[in-house]
Amino acid sequence: MIEVDNLQKAYRKLHAIKGISFVVQPGEVYGLLGPNGAGKTTTLRILATLLKPTSGSAKVAGFDVARESLAVRRNLGIVNGGMKVYDKLTGYEVLDFFGSFYDLWGPGLKERIAWAAELLHIEQAVLSKQVKDMSTGMQQKIVIARAILHQPQVLLLDEATAGLDVFARRALLDFVRQYAELGKTLIYSTHVMSEAEEVCDRVGFINKGSLVYEGRLQEALELGSGNLERAFIRRLEEAA
Amino acid sequence: MMNEILIIARKELLSVVRERRVLFTTLVLPIVIMPLLMFGPILLFGNAARQTQESVQKVGVVGVPAEVLEQLRKAKVEPIEIANPQEAVQNREVLAALVFEKGTFTIYGRLSGGATQSALVVEKVQGALRAYKDRLVTQELQNRGIGTDILEPFRLETKDASREQERAAGLFAFLIPYFLVVFIQTGGMPVAVDATAGEKEKGTLEALLAAPVPLVQILLGKGLAVFVMSLLSTLAAITGLLLGGGVLRSLFATQLQAVQNGENAAQLGGALALDPLGYLSMIVTAVLFALLVIAIMISLGLYARSFKEAQSYMSPLMLVMIIPILFLQFSDFIKLQDWYFALPFVGVVLSLDAIVKGSATATLLSLTWVSTLVFAGLALYLAYRNFQREDVVFRN
Repeated sequence: MIEVDNLQKAYRKLHAIKGISFVVQPGEVYGLLGPNGAGKTTTLRILATLLKPTSGSAKVAGFDVARESLAVRRNLGIVNGGMKVYDKLTGYEVLDFFGSFYDLWGPGLKERIAWAAELLHIEQAVLSKQVKDMSTGMQQKIVIARAILHQPQVLLLDEATAGLDVFARRALLDFVRQYAELGKTLIYSTHVMSEAEEVCDRVGFINKGSLVYEGRLQEALELGSGNLERAFIRRLEEAA
Repeated sequence: MMNEILIIARKELLSVVRERRVLFTTLVLPIVIMPLLMFGPILLFGNAARQTQESVQKVGVVGVPAEVLEQLRKAKVEPIEIANPQEAVQNREVLAALVFEKGTFTIYGRLSGGATQSALVVEKVQGALRAYKDRLVTQELQNRGIGTDILEPFRLETKDASREQERAAGLFAFLIPYFLVVFIQTGGMPVAVDATAGEKEKGTLEALLAAPVPLVQILLGKGLAVFVMSLLSTLAAITGLLLGGGVLRSLFATQLQAVQNGENAAQLGGALALDPLGYLSMIVTAVLFALLVIAIMISLGLYARSFKEAQSYMSPLMLVMIIPILFLQFSDFIKLQDWYFALPFVGVVLSLDAIVKGSATATLLSLTWVSTLVFAGLALYLAYRNFQREDVVFRN
């Protein structure tokens, strides 16, 4: 579960987030939608304890992001479009490296790697290649596998399909739904509305650091006469 | 806690091991290049000097008496008449020139720019003139019925009173601090850059920071990897120096002996003659110095946005560290104060010099060790503070 309450983040004169609040329940995929620079990445980085909020609070899996950062990280996985893994290591070595921080060793680790590989359609042979020798899509799958290896309660996906080909993108979208069905809490952040339409249960529209709309996917679609992009533009115009 | 540090260090080292270029420049090259650096110039210059002594060179002459010309020929110099001595030497028509005018011999040679063949020929001409002068003086004394021993009323001897370790160290006394400083930095720099600014530039840092590992452990893990590479690189350089030096000494013993004019050839390269405590002191000093340098490099690397920026911060560090070594060359002219041993870099260089020469004391070494540890701690704290700053970590 994710609980965000009046969260704010300011960099000197720039207010990246201006007091946003929302809750995401277990088993739910929450779409955080907005244009580039709206504050999506900043919000997710705060939830992942990579940034500290200026004010307000947030809890991930019951732990406060500002005060219990290690506990939050144990229960969370994050992927963003620009995230990469070590190119000189093999896929297996990357997963071994990150898995060891979650007390995953030996047979337990092998099992988890097999589970993640199956879920993301990664062939075992690919895991023995160095990351630099993999395709962009496969590299991104390794990034995602690293984030889910410890089966976190909360998964944050920020523009996670950036750079993926059609097959890898399809695999990721299928994975998001499957992972939510395991009772996990997901935030799916993107500016591609069609992806959100496919995977999200609820959506929040964020613009210039403010949450301008929040509702169930069906309600949002009705707002845009069946089109999420139209709903997003309409809501932004109303808020302006 | 230690487990996470080791895991991170192992990952950093694994990345380095797979980078053959870095592996070659930090571990293989020092072994190959150190003996060449140490003995190559000596052997080359020694051979060139011997060949110059044994072969005949052309020397321009103006107004030189026949007796002197004969003396020059005996010294394996071929005199040829020229019009303008300065021009002839400048244009390399002759290696040196000798002019006799109004009772004065003037020798022309190209004496600037280090060891030149012209300088060696000038020495030959000087030798010939000295022999000619001695002959004239001896003849004149004999004509007056005076023995030549009047020219030497007493004997003059100079003895080296330096410690045995200092004598044995030879060039090592200067080179050990230099090599330690250079190789600790050059060995660690590629890993330090890759593990800090490199991670930022490649986009891998965020995934690591999202893992449940405290920042201090990430920092120590990266520091440990840099430390291992620094020490391996330094060991490679010293191994190259000792083993390569030994091989070259045995292969070219005659040439080295000839260059030294009969002195102990081993002194050319030097040989460490320390007791176990001396070696231990040297290792402790080097390790503490490595900690300081590594902490500074990691701090700079974390601040930098990219590989290039990190390298541009770290390269001047080498110049800063070499200043105390230059200072060391003139240390004999300065009355060393105890507090010099507590200065960053300066203390380490002075202590290493003292250890190699066998003049180190427990008090001065302790002063250097404690101060270096304190400075390393401060640098590490600065690196930690940099790592905590969002504007630094997400600077790219």
